[in-house]
Amino acid sequence: MADIEGYPGSSMHGVTGREPVLAFSVASPMVPTDTTAKFDLPVDSEHKAKKFKIFSFANPHMRTFHLSWISFFTCFVSTFAAAPLVPIIRDNLNLTKSDIGNAGVASVSGSIFSRLVMGAVCDLVGPRYGCVFLIMLSAPTVFCMSFVSSAGGYLAVRFMIGFSLATFVSCQFWMSTMFNSKIIGLVNGTAAGWGNMGGGATQLIMPFLYDIIKRTGATPFTAWRIAFFIPGWLHVIMGILVITLGQDLPDGNLSTLQKKGDVAKDQFGKVFWNAVTNYRTWIFVLLYGYSMGVELSTDNVIAEYFYDRFDLNLHTAGIIAATFGMANLVARPFGGFASDYTAKRFGMRGRLWTVWILQTLGGAFCLLLGRSNSLPLAVTFMIIFSIGAQAACGATFGIIPFISRRSLGVISGMTGAGGNFGSGLTQLLFFTSSKYSTATGLTYMGIMIMACTLPVTLVHFPQWGSMFLPPTKDTVKGTEEHYYSSEYTEEEKAKGMHQNSLKFAENSRSERGNRVASAPTPPSSTPNHV
Amino acid sequence: MAAPGFIIAALVFSCLAANSCAVTFSSLPNNLIVSASTKQGQVLKAGEDKITITWSLNTSLPAGTDSSYHMVEVKLCYAPISQQDRAWRRTEDDLTRDKTCQHKIVTRPYSRSNNTFTWTVQKDVPTATYFIRAYVQNSHDEEVAYGQTTDSHKATNLFDVQAISGRHASLDIASVCFSAFSLVSLFGFFFMEKRKAKSSQQK
Repeated sequence: MADIEGYPGSSMHGVTGREPVLAFSVASPMVPTDTTAKFDLPVDSEHKAKKFKIFSFANPHMRTFHLSWISFFTCFVSTFAAAPLVPIIRDNLNLTKSDIGNAGVASVSGSIFSRLVMGAVCDLVGPRYGCVFLIMLSAPTVFCMSFVSSAGGYLAVRFMIGFSLATFVSCQFWMSTMFNSKIIGLVNGTAAGWGNMGGGATQLIMPFLYDIIKRTGATPFTAWRIAFFIPGWLHVIMGILVITLGQDLPDGNLSTLQKKGDVAKDQFGKVFWNAVTNYRTWIFVLLYGYSMGVELSTDNVIAEYFYDRFDLNLHTAGIIAATFGMANLVARPFGGFASDYTAKRFGMRGRLWTVWILQTLGGAFCLLLGRSNSLPLAVTFMIIFSIGAQAACGATFGIIPFISRRSLGVISGMTGAGGNFGSGLTQLLFFTSSKYSTATGLTYMGIMIMACTLPVTLVHFPQWGSMFLPPTKDTVKGTEEHYYSSEYTEEEKAKGMHQNSLKFAENSRSERGNRVASAPTPPSSTPNHV
Repeated sequence: MAAPGFIIAALVFSCLAANSCAVTFSSLPNNLIVSASTKQGQVLKAGEDKITITWSLNTSLPAGTDSSYHMVEVKLCYAPISQQDRAWRRTEDDLTRDKTCQHKIVTRPYSRSNNTFTWTVQKDVPTATYFIRAYVQNSHDEEVAYGQTTDSHKATNLFDVQAISGRHASLDIASVCFSAFSLVSLFGFFFMEKRKAKSSQQK
């Protein structure tokens, strides 16, 4: 059964999606295949794909997937392109440590707002135009790096480039129009992880380009400016590819999308209020700030750290820094997998412990990274830190769908914004002032990660319990149905607005873990292995 | 008390044997007299202006002081004001970790006097305040003495370098062209699609 189209926040549906566990495809009895449609993949009645064939580029479903994640990847590349080149840029522009730190904060702050705006844009004109407009309007900002001659200019340009990270929203939204909601979880998780890899790839790409350009005879202070043209061209190329090869819907029909966008069956104000009054939302906003947030901060400082602390050349520092971001290829999906795996036996308690363990581990190794004086140890600790933090990101989004059904979109959006906010905060606190070195900054950040992960012990679901407490014994309050339908008032329930939530509640009984005895195994939580 | 003595002896022995002990700046004697053609507060343009450096052994030193001197390495060093808030230029006593002098000017075999070199300030030298220091190395490439154009507090006889901006008119023009191309193609494709949609709706 399809979601209500145009439901506020539905643009963020599937961002998280733990709906089918580890599924690469949905079997036919569950979602009927439309046999009249002539697509490369089996599709449902809305012509959304039921199968996820990673290495195919067939139009429209898989082509959308690849266009979408590569656009997001490109924006990550350009947002963090300055980071590995900072040792050169700081000499060219005569930057102090606080100039560098502030520019790093600016690079992640813009997207807090642009991601929220992008949600509205996708609802209005569709994700394809949202993506194209953003990526091509931010191309000039990347080219602007060639004009920069002061700390203020550097900060302004990094701030403007940072807006492009909102392609995350268009990426996820676009795929929810192309893939059935039962496999959207894995599809979106893969796209998010592969896009985030751009933060790692850029640490390899930019020093490599800089080296080549220097070899052709350019002086260092000109070579880094020329290097920025490549991410700029990538923006333009991806924009043109998306607008020419992409299509909004499986059937290519734009006007239908516009019609659907007008239908709002719920009120944004109520949905938003429901999200902000749920304390669990805020705990996860904080947590994500210390998993995704520290990942973004580390993307900004790690290359310069290895260059300065261990006297490496730019190229080598870039390679090491790249392994941090590239771990996203497997680490983030692994986090989601670990969350699902523990949920099978221990239910929601398992998911909560998984997040706590992964994130605390990440924090501990961040601390050790700051303290290590030898290069091999530092690299080892960095890799374990990256796996911990990125897996924690994946595991966090294994829990988000269960916080609220009504406000899933808003909560996902707020959590995402919390990630960027955490990044800005940690860079401001630890990597901007000259009071302590970057090594000490990393150590303190590790301590703060471990401290800010502790609130997850407070997350309690009446029907499933928490990390330490069992579920409530109350027979009414201890049901999933009660939890999810209490998001609606009695009048709203009388109108039947909570019907979808009841369905979800039934499916979410899997979060009881092995204790599920009498309840029938809901079909959507049965893993469909390829 | 034999144990600590033994440990110290072992350390010293291993140091001498391995030759990998860190040389500290504070252990080096200021035996060279180094002077440069720059004046206090002069601003030099990177890539254009030249500095002439001369260095010689301090003649008031006893004979044989320079018996192990082999090579002289002349470097451009940051003055304290350019090291503020910039930990990547910080001064450390351990010379393997010291980042004060990051730009090599010239390396020459050691000779007691008549050493001159004229250096054009390179294009990758950043805007900052500098002085010049020459390290004397023995045949094992370890620093054994030094000389510098400023005093021990690094406060006198400092000069500035004005770096190149790195910007070029051709880069600026290319940047504007590509940005314009991006905007034109965006709106071009957008309006083309809108027209196609309208004309197909009218059909």
